[in-house]
Amino acid sequence: MRKRLIAAVVAALGLMAAACGGSTTPTAPAAPITIGVSVSQTGDFSGDGKALVQGYDLWAQDINAKGGLNGHKVTMKYVDDTSSAQQVVTNYQNLITVDKVALVFGPFSSLLTIPASTVVARYNYAFPEPAGGGPHVFDRGLTNVFFVQPAAVEDNLVSYTKYLLSLPAGQRPASAAYATQDDPFTQPQVDKAKSLLEAGGIKTSYYKVYPAETTDFTPIALAVANSQADAVILGTQLPDAVAFPKTFVQQHYNPKTIIETTGPDQGAVFSGKLGANTDGIMVPAGWTPDAKAYGNDKFVSEFIAKYGGTSADISADAAEAYSVGQVVDQAAVKANSIDNAKLISTLHNGSYNTIQGPMSFDATGKPVGGVGVYIEQWQSGKAIFVYPATVASAPPEYPKKSWQ
Amino acid sequence: MRLLRQANNLKVSGIVVLFAIALALPAISPDPATTNIAVFTMMYIGLATAWNIMGGYTGYISLGHAGFFGFGSYTLGLLLAHLGIKAGYTPFLFVPLAGLATAVLALAIGWFALRTRAATFVIVTIAFMFMLQLLAENLVGLTGGGGGLSFPVPPWGGDYFNTPYYYAMLALATLGLAISWRIRRSKFGLGLLAIRDDEDKALAVGVPTRAFKLTAFVVSATLVGMIGGVYGYYVTYIYPQFVVDPLIGISMVLMVFLGGLGTISGPVLGALILEPAQLWLAYNFGASRLYLVMYAAVFLGVILLLPRGIVPSLVELVERWRARTGPSASAPSKAVAP
Amino acid sequence: MTLVLEAAVLGVLTGGVYALMASGLTLIFGVMRIINVGHGALVVLGAYLSFAASRSLHIDPFLTLVITMPVMFLLGMVLQIVFIRPLKTDREALSVLVTYALALGIEGLLGYFFTANYTQLQAWYDTASFPIGSFRITYVYVFGFALCLAILAVMFLVLYRTTFGASIRATMLNRTAAQLIGIDVDRVSAVAFGIGMATAAAGGVVFGITTAFNPGSHYDLISRLLTIIVLGGLGSLRGAIVAALIMLVSEDITAVLISPVWANFVFFVILVGVLLIRPQGLYGVRVRDRL
Repeated sequence: MRKRLIAAVVAALGLMAAACGGSTTPTAPAAPITIGVSVSQTGDFSGDGKALVQGYDLWAQDINAKGGLNGHKVTMKYVDDTSSAQQVVTNYQNLITVDKVALVFGPFSSLLTIPASTVVARYNYAFPEPAGGGPHVFDRGLTNVFFVQPAAVEDNLVSYTKYLLSLPAGQRPASAAYATQDDPFTQPQVDKAKSLLEAGGIKTSYYKVYPAETTDFTPIALAVANSQADAVILGTQLPDAVAFPKTFVQQHYNPKTIIETTGPDQGAVFSGKLGANTDGIMVPAGWTPDAKAYGNDKFVSEFIAKYGGTSADISADAAEAYSVGQVVDQAAVKANSIDNAKLISTLHNGSYNTIQGPMSFDATGKPVGGVGVYIEQWQSGKAIFVYPATVASAPPEYPKKSWQ
Repeated sequence: MRLLRQANNLKVSGIVVLFAIALALPAISPDPATTNIAVFTMMYIGLATAWNIMGGYTGYISLGHAGFFGFGSYTLGLLLAHLGIKAGYTPFLFVPLAGLATAVLALAIGWFALRTRAATFVIVTIAFMFMLQLLAENLVGLTGGGGGLSFPVPPWGGDYFNTPYYYAMLALATLGLAISWRIRRSKFGLGLLAIRDDEDKALAVGVPTRAFKLTAFVVSATLVGMIGGVYGYYVTYIYPQFVVDPLIGISMVLMVFLGGLGTISGPVLGALILEPAQLWLAYNFGASRLYLVMYAAVFLGVILLLPRGIVPSLVELVERWRARTGPSASAPSKAVAP
Repeated sequence: MTLVLEAAVLGVLTGGVYALMASGLTLIFGVMRIINVGHGALVVLGAYLSFAASRSLHIDPFLTLVITMPVMFLLGMVLQIVFIRPLKTDREALSVLVTYALALGIEGLLGYFFTANYTQLQAWYDTASFPIGSFRITYVYVFGFALCLAILAVMFLVLYRTTFGASIRATMLNRTAAQLIGIDVDRVSAVAFGIGMATAAAGGVVFGITTAFNPGSHYDLISRLLTIIVLGGLGSLRGAIVAALIMLVSEDITAVLISPVWANFVFFVILVGVLLIRPQGLYGVRVRDRL
């Protein structure tokens, strides 16, 4: 009786081999290429995958309209990583070895970018990525990673601290409250801002780190409100970026200034949940629909044409993804090749224009010499650049008006 | 008698053939996409087998084994970081140390958790798992907290990279199977099965239930911890939610149930089916978001059609078929309609 | 001190919501001896149904319960009949797998229809508040709490004042004996599952107004709900309510006094501590038969 059992096991093994080996595609003819991306469509990070896909798709449409990437027509291939390390590792190996994609672009979040980057490095592929800027991305001795944002994550709030400290002594906030997720993306930013503001003489009246899985933010928000600090600096993702202001409104707590690391930069997804009470909330941003950066008008108008809505609906994640394509496009032209080794060495030199402004990369792939991160503020239902003055389309509203 | 010996020979040769296929797999199918799936499949064969030693034999359902998985992973990562071990083959030698540490932890947790039974035990194991996850997150000085922990990255190229990990997983899975098989044929194993059938009766007839349960729990957790270590080294970067992941804990349980609770080949079969299916479905249908629905549908179908798992259901089927056509065909049961 | 008091009040208010969600789960366990791992997904499903209903009909989220509770009640009965009832052997363990598969299926379908973006139910009063002493209480929490109390009260009335409730309680006490005295245990089970779903719908509304959620939110929910019903004692409604309050109050106070990162940890310590002294949970009856 055991014989059949073993036969079944063998059959299962065979099935498994068929499942793995069956989908091998013959090498494609030279001209069209596929670019592979693993995005989180299910699981913890799934909320952020959509904007990334929109940005990449729009770039692919643009590049094909002008004749392709160095003449190669581009197709994007997206696979789901279910927000798990195991799947992201699997996906990039499959994209590279089974689908034989010509290039790969990065996923969402540092947490997935890190395991993915070592896999991609193994095959000597370039890994331009829009969302993985945590410290561990750059300390692994990899030379193929390129983080396409204006500054490494920990420096995101630096220009905000400069702005606060540039205020006349009488107006400057006397105290600040800090709360942040223990996420590698948010916490370093808030910690750096705290040390800079403390050095500038702004008293810390509250500081709390909370777990990234927290779903009920009210107790922490209450504690922040209770501190009655003049400035509130929050290390958030979208759900808490909405929850904190809501609680502040409920508590009638009106700080002079509020900045949140992520959330307010996500257009209508953010404002839809807060209504008029977005007014005055700031966010560090490398991108805004109004910026006069390279190709930005085109990006905005095409985005609206393709996905509908208004410029306020566009998420910065989409702009970052689009920038990845721009950088690769310029590098390919410069190297006169889409070969990964050539792209890698080219990307380490020179400066590249993106809708987030010009940027270049150091040996570890960290963006350097860029313009840094701007400050965006919601004013009358729109997020606009307010600092530094060179790019600002309006002066910062300070102190922030009372909630409605 | 002769028939029995023949069946036995067949079984042994079947196992030898299977093992040979497993050994030669990287040579037969060296492309990284296959070896990668093979690494994870072998990993789950090991995990499901290890879980079965506790859950299958004693009937104590632990949904918290992911805690041991993560603990082993973190232990290996921290050992490598603090001892300054370079990437390459050496880190594999430290895997047993990670197992040892996990054993100590499992002894402590088991001592507490096994005071409860049934559903309460299930939840206590979940609670312990979340406590471990929270510790990994909150003891930032030790574990790096939410920033995660990096493993050294071996300099191997993409075509070879997966192979050493595959053999490490294969070795651990084989070890697990050998232990599982040995236990099943021992007095200790009989004691465990007695606990599953009726713990109070087992105690009454003199089975040292507490010591037996604890031993099975520790053995099971140790294997899981070692596998967790290899996993961390394979993905090269761990983070509390990635390794103390409830889904990993639930996956191994599902595989055992799918294959057949308390059998030796069941967990292997369950892992062989579910893990490649999941990786493949997510890769090919994930973008449409319907892969979860498909996975759930397959799952529901199997449970409702084969409620006792594949192996016991097949065995039953084969036995029924034999009863009709086998040597006992002359028996009056012939009249039974198919 | 104000902060601690504030946290305690908030803990009680949100605890009421968890009490409602957990009461459905514990009722299902009591009647059927199964752990419904899909309960979190059903709460999320309830939240999405209310979201869709309030958006398309332009009505207040709480009003959508008039639609969603009956719908979820019927859905619950269907799910019980199609997926739970066929399990004959080893049903306690298999039901965990079946309900987990249901949770995955629901998550997949919700992701397909609503995308994985975070959403939140909206009402005009979700940022309105009134002052009590030195702090302010938000209406939406009070409304949610009141709703939960009302539904729990109805549930207790049904259980303790009607004949059908008596048969539910009899089934909870002893399934086999209930069968022997002529109670249609299958019917009781289906209805109990339906009631559990209806409470999940109600819990979903309050959850959806106070928290941003997406299809994946059920993992977090179910792990909290399971720990609540075990702390309270499996199958005990009173236990579920008390345990929910203990959980939320202890978490909120820890968050304020120590740090939010230890909030869950403290609860798990309480849980493990209680179970070591009373393995059957706070209000549980020592059950001899195993799961």
